[in-house]
Amino acid sequence: MATERRLPLAMTRRAFMAAGAAALAARRADAATLPRLAIIDWALLETALALGAVPAAASELIQYRSLVVEPELPGTVADLGLRGSPSFEMLRQVAPDLILISQFYDYQRPQLERIAPVLSLPVYEAGTAPYALVEASTLRLGEAVGLRRKARAYVDDTANEIARRRAALAPHRDRPVFVINLGDSRHFRAFGGDSMFGDVVDRLGLTNAWTDTTSYSAAAPVGIEALARRPEAGIVIVEPSPPEVARGLPRNAIWNALPAVRDGRVASIAPVSHFGGLPSARRFARLLEAALSHWPAS
Amino acid sequence: MTSRRVLLPWAAMAVLAAVLFAWKVRDAWPVGGDHLQWVILQNAVLPRAAVAILAGAALGLAGLLLQRVLRNALAEPSTLGISAGAQLAMALATLFAPALMIWSVGFVAFTGGIAAVAIILALTWRRGLEPVSVVLAGMMVALTANAASAALILANGDYLFSLFIWGGGSLVQQSWDPAVTIGSRLAIGLAAAILLLRPLAILGLDDASARSLGVALHASRFAIVALAVWIATTVVAAVGVIGFVGLAAPALATLSGARTLGQRVVAAPLIGAILLWLTDGLVQLVSGVGGERLPTGAATALLGGPLLLWILPRLRMMEWPSLSTLMAASRRAARPSAIIVIALVALFGAALAALLIGSGPEGWSVATGSLLADLSQWRAPRIVVAAAAGAMLAAAGVMVQRLTGNPLASPEVLGVGTGAGAGLTAVLLVNAAASLFWQIAGAAAGALGALLLILGVAARGKFGPERLLLGGVAIGAAASAVITAVIAMGTMTSYTLLTWLTGSTAQADATQAWTALALAVMLVAPAFLAVRWLEILPLGGETAKSLGVPLKRARFAVVLLSALMTAAAAMFVGPLSFIGLIAPHLARLVGLGRARDHLLGAVLLGAALMVLSDWLARMVAFPYQLPVGLFASLIGGPYLIYLLSSGARSRH
Repeated sequence: MATERRLPLAMTRRAFMAAGAAALAARRADAATLPRLAIIDWALLETALALGAVPAAASELIQYRSLVVEPELPGTVADLGLRGSPSFEMLRQVAPDLILISQFYDYQRPQLERIAPVLSLPVYEAGTAPYALVEASTLRLGEAVGLRRKARAYVDDTANEIARRRAALAPHRDRPVFVINLGDSRHFRAFGGDSMFGDVVDRLGLTNAWTDTTSYSAAAPVGIEALARRPEAGIVIVEPSPPEVARGLPRNAIWNALPAVRDGRVASIAPVSHFGGLPSARRFARLLEAALSHWPAS
Repeated sequence: MTSRRVLLPWAAMAVLAAVLFAWKVRDAWPVGGDHLQWVILQNAVLPRAAVAILAGAALGLAGLLLQRVLRNALAEPSTLGISAGAQLAMALATLFAPALMIWSVGFVAFTGGIAAVAIILALTWRRGLEPVSVVLAGMMVALTANAASAALILANGDYLFSLFIWGGGSLVQQSWDPAVTIGSRLAIGLAAAILLLRPLAILGLDDASARSLGVALHASRFAIVALAVWIATTVVAAVGVIGFVGLAAPALATLSGARTLGQRVVAAPLIGAILLWLTDGLVQLVSGVGGERLPTGAATALLGGPLLLWILPRLRMMEWPSLSTLMAASRRAARPSAIIVIALVALFGAALAALLIGSGPEGWSVATGSLLADLSQWRAPRIVVAAAAGAMLAAAGVMVQRLTGNPLASPEVLGVGTGAGAGLTAVLLVNAAASLFWQIAGAAAGALGALLLILGVAARGKFGPERLLLGGVAIGAAASAVITAVIAMGTMTSYTLLTWLTGSTAQADATQAWTALALAVMLVAPAFLAVRWLEILPLGGETAKSLGVPLKRARFAVVLLSALMTAAAAMFVGPLSFIGLIAPHLARLVGLGRARDHLLGAVLLGAALMVLSDWLARMVAFPYQLPVGLFASLIGGPYLIYLLSSGARSRH
C-alpha cells in the first residue's frame, strides 16, 4: 500500500469514487488489505505506524521526525501540513478511505467528512489519567483498520514492557519525580497525573511529585522555585529546552540550591511526544529507566 | 498644598506595594533553619521586588526619553513596537540562531527593538515624526511583529513555549542577575539623561528652534532613542514584555505636577517603579499555588488600557499638530471608469488564478475538469471569504482615512478587530472547545463592546480625528493585552487564539462564504450613500460644516459603518488588516480621487489583494498553510514604506 502512489490528477471523479468504494469493499472482504489512511493526530499516527498500518498521508511530518522520533516514518507518507490547519486540497488529492482524528480536531470534522469517513478516537481528557484511554483507542484503531489482533498484541507488549521496567526500577520504588519541560531558565511546566508522562511514572512504580492542577496534561508555566516544594524529588527534563537555558540555568541560584541538583538527581531525556500514544509511552519509559539508572537508589 | 495632594496617592500606593511585599516576605520566611527556604527568600522573593522596582523605573525612564525626543506623548516601548520587535527577534534567534541566544539574549532583543524603531522612524520621517503617524506606524509594526511571532509559535508547536512566556512578561526571579543587569542599565540611563538635560529640553522644542540653539539635532535625537531602546530591550530580554508602564509613568509624572524636565527625570522612573511594584504585588496576591494565572506584563497592560483612556483627554492637545492638512493631494485620472473596469478585471483575474492554479502531491498544476470540480469546493469558499473580507477592510480603510485625514489610519485603529479577539478569548476561556457559532458570537460581542467604547470616546471628542485614532489604539492595546495574557498560559485555547490572531481562512466552507458575502454586500453598499460626506470630510470640520454636512451625524455614521465592516472582516481573517491601509492608497495612486471612485476602486483592489494573499498563504509552503494576515502585511509593508517615503514630499 505504501509504495502505491495514486495519480489523482489523471483520474476522473467517477473513477476516483469507484476506486474508493472498491477499497472499502476490499477491506470488508479481506482484513489483510489496509484501508488508505490519512491521520491528523500524532498519537494516532504513531500508533498506526507501530501496528504496521503505514498511512498514505499524515500531518506535520517535519516536526514529527524531530519531536516524536519513533516509530520511524517511511518516506512514502505524504505531508498534510499543520495539524491545526491541514491542507484539505492535499488531503482530497491523497484520497484516503478513512481519516483518523482525535477530539482536539473535531472542529475540522465537517470539512474532513466531505473527503472520507472520519473516525475520531479520544486520546486525552482533562483530569483523567490517559494510559487506559489510549489503550482503548489503540484497540479501536486496530479494529478500524483490520488489525485487531496486532493491536491487542501491541497493547499487551506495552503493558509487559512497562511491568519489566517497573521491576528494573525497584531500587527507586516510590521515589517522587518531577517530569518537566523548561520554558526558559526561570520557568517550567510540570506534567501532572492527567498526562501520559505522569501516568507512566505511576505505572513504573514511581511517584509523580507534581500534584497540583494541570490543564490538558501540562500546567501553565511556573517559576523554578516551585520545585523546592518537594526537596526530596528527582527532576526529569524532557527536551527540547530553549537554547538560552544552557547559559541561564547554571546561573540560577535556586536551581543550584535544589537538593536534586546538588545530589545529581536530575536527568535530561530526548524529546518524547507529550500528547503521544502507546509508542510514546514506551519510549518515555525506556528513556526514563535509562536516565534513572545513573541515580543513587532511594 | 498642591504638591502634597498629588504626592499623597503615590506615597499610599508605594506603602501598599511595600505591605504586599512584606506579606510575601513573611510568607516565605524560613522556619527552623530551612536552608532551601533561605535561598528562595534571598533569590526569589527579594530580587523579584527589586526587578519590579528597577524594571518599572527603567521603563518609566525609557518612555520619558522617547516621549521627549519624539515630542510624542504616546511614545513608549510598546506603542513604538520596540517590545514586539525584541520579542520577534528573540523568537527568530531561538529557532534559527540558538548560539546567539546563548551568547546574549540582551543583544538579540536590542537588535529587534532598534529595527522596529528604525522602521517606524523611516516610515514617518517625511511626515516630520508627527506624533499620530508615529503611533500608528508603531501599532502596525507591533501588530505585524506579533503576528509573525504567533506564526512561529504555530509552526513549532508548543515545544518552544518560551515563545509564549516572553509575551506575557513574567517577573519570576531565581537569582540577582537580572536585577543587577537592569539596575546597571538604569543607572547609566539616568546618568546620561541628567547629562543630556539641556539637549533634551531643546529637543522638546520644534526643530527650527533646536537647530538655532546649536544642537546637533539628528545625532542627539538618534543617540537618545538608541539609549531608550537599549534600556527598554534590557527589560524585555530579562523579564519579557511589560506594557504601558513606559507610557503611563511619564504622563502621570506630568499630571502629578512635575513641571521641569529635571523633575520629570526623577518622577517618571519613581512612578514607573511604584506602578510595576504594586501591580506585581497584586498579581502575586491573586495567584494560586499552581502558577500565576496572569503574567505581570499582561496585568499592567490590562490596567494600562483604561488608564490610557483616562489620560488622553488630560494631555495637552497643543502637542498634537492638526492632521487635516496632511492628506497628500492625489492625481486624478481622466477616465476613472476605465480604471475601475481594470480593477474589476484584476479582481476576477486573481480569483480565477486562485481557483485554477495550485500545488498538489505531484507539484504545480492548472486544475481543469473533474479535478477543478473537486478542488473548487475547498478553494471557492476561501476565495469568496478572502474577497469579502478584503472588500470590507478596504471600504473601512477609505472611510477611516477620509474621516481622519490621516493616510496612516486603517481599520485597526478602531480597536474593534482586537475587540473581537477579546470576545473570542472570553468564549474560549469558558469552554476551550466552543463551537464555531459561539466563537463567532463571542467575537461579535467583543467587537460590539469595543465599538461602543470607541463611539463613547469619539463622541466626547465630537468625533474628531485625533481622539478617535488614539482612543482606538488604546482600546486595541487593552484588548490585545487580554489576548496575550491568555496565549501566555500556553493551553489549547492559546492555539485557537493564535490561529485567529494570524488570520486563517483555512476552515472556510460554503456557509461561511455565503455569510461573508452577505455581510460584505450589506455593509459596503450603504457606504456608497455616504460618498458626499466622504468627499467633504477630509477638507476639515469647518469646511464641512459650511458646506452643510451634519458633522456629528456624518462622523458617527462613518465610524459606525467602518467599525462594523472591520469587525465582520476580523471574524473571518483575524485582526491584521493591512489591506484596509493599502487598498485605499492603491486606489488613490492609480488616480481614483473622487470619493465614489476611490471607494469602489479600493473595494475591488482590496478584494483582489486579499484573494492574492490567501492564495499565497495556501500555496507558498504547500501543504503547510501560512497565516493569510501575515501575507497581507508582507505584501502591504514594503509598499507602504515606498509610499510614505516618496508620497508626501511637501515637507523638507
